Amino acid sequence: MIRLQDVAKVYDGGTVAVRDVDLEISKGEFVFLVGPSGSGKSTLIRLMLRQELPTSGRIWVAGKDITTLPGWKVPLLRRSIGTVFQDFKLLPSKTVHENVAFALEVIGRPKHVIRSQVPQVLKLVGLAAKADRMPNQLSGGEQQRVSIARAFVNRPLILLADEPTGNLDPATSVGIMRLLDRINRTGTTVVMATHDHAIVDAMRRRVVALERGRVIRDQSRGAYQMGAGESVTAGFADGPGGAEA
Amino acid sequence: MRFQYILEQAISNLRRNVLVVFAAVVAVLVMLALVFGTIVVRWSIDKDIGRWDDNVRVIAFLSDDLSIEEIDAMQAEIQTWDEVDEVIYFTKSQALEEFRDIFSDQPSLIDIVEEDPSILPASFRIKPAEAADYSAIRDRLVVVPGVSQVSSADEAIDALVERAGHMRAFALWIMVILGAAAVVLIANTIRIAIFARRDEIGIMKLVGAGNWFVRIPFLLEGVIEGVIGAVLAIALVWSVGGSIAALLSTATDGGSISPPTDFMLRQALLLLGFGAGTGLLGSAFGMWGFLRD
Repeated sequence: MIRLQDVAKVYDGGTVAVRDVDLEISKGEFVFLVGPSGSGKSTLIRLMLRQELPTSGRIWVAGKDITTLPGWKVPLLRRSIGTVFQDFKLLPSKTVHENVAFALEVIGRPKHVIRSQVPQVLKLVGLAAKADRMPNQLSGGEQQRVSIARAFVNRPLILLADEPTGNLDPATSVGIMRLLDRINRTGTTVVMATHDHAIVDAMRRRVVALERGRVIRDQSRGAYQMGAGESVTAGFADGPGGAEA
Repeated sequence: MRFQYILEQAISNLRRNVLVVFAAVVAVLVMLALVFGTIVVRWSIDKDIGRWDDNVRVIAFLSDDLSIEEIDAMQAEIQTWDEVDEVIYFTKSQALEEFRDIFSDQPSLIDIVEEDPSILPASFRIKPAEAADYSAIRDRLVVVPGVSQVSSADEAIDALVERAGHMRAFALWIMVILGAAAVVLIANTIRIAIFARRDEIGIMKLVGAGNWFVRIPFLLEGVIEGVIGAVLAIALVWSVGGSIAALLSTATDGGSISPPTDFMLRQALLLLGFGAGTGLLGSAFGMWGFLRD
């Protein structure tokens, strides 16, 4: 689903954000990108979204070499990718429903599709009852659920999440992770950048560790343990989805 | 749905920045009003030159010692020149009559002329084929024996032609300078609109909105500004155009001074296109490098 081959990204000032990255992510996988700030997690996400072009190397997403993709095809690529960010990126002047509908409107989906899809995805994230609220009337966790709903409403093949729990307390984060896990189990490939070890330990998924732009570890599901967080949050990924955020 | 969305975005952009939009519209208005005004003035000058064209005469004063036969022969010869449309013989008595007519309010002048009729010689009044031919005719007349003096309204014509030329250069400079100002001001409103909506645009790009879907509302915004400016300029010039033309015209007979409606309509349509083009260009400049993926 996603393949990076010998990718390097050097920013204009000479800062090397990532280098020598070879990575292959299969369809339906759930992959954590971990590492300290500045290790290149966000750059990798931006490269996969084609918000940046690599300085060298090639990147395939959903079967296409996006390093040679012409600019006018980028929107089509992005329609197959959902994105979630630490700061939610909701439009403050639109309701929950309108924020989610917006993602479908601007790619030209017909009204009847919007009418059926938006309530469905709001139900999935547990916000069906708050469809008419404004973002500033919601908690942080709820806002992130809206953002996930917006990312998922178009049923993307891939969900890229850059520190989605970075602004949330641990209990709320658990709810968000459950939601991402549910989305992953629908067949969506999920790539999540985080430095929250507790979450990584508890989820027992593939972990790609970055340091100063290089992949220093790539361990598959269950083989990765870090710290003693497991007993605290163990198994929450398997619990029922809900709206406890 | 999408068209409605695009239009709504463009209009809400315009409403959000009323002041800067106002500045841009005024720039377009002033530029196009001056351009349109210049077109109207040019029209009336051309019309004026046309009037002169009809009235330009080269006058060849004749020596008093010519016989009727000699005069007839000269008239016949001049008539064959390519530059000449018509030659009319003007006798001394006709000249005196005309003089009396022109200076009827100054009897002392008339007295002087009547005492000495040789002051007013007989003449040929020669109508050139084209107004511009008068100098060629004059050059040929000077060497014709029996012609004592040649006069023509050349200075007035030259002045008029020159005025028309200046007007054209003036109009061009106004178009260039004010056009550039209008483009920059429109670009500025577009940039402000993009800035005001940068979060929304960021999300649109993230979820895969087409590049043109993002751009068109801004292009449309610039075009609307340009067209509004053009419409106001047309209304302004249309309402005062006649008086401008009258002010600059040398006509004294009060003949048709304002340009005809079909001429004005054609120019107005041109102006609308020009306004829309200015808006489009301004938008393009405003978006330059800002709405890439």
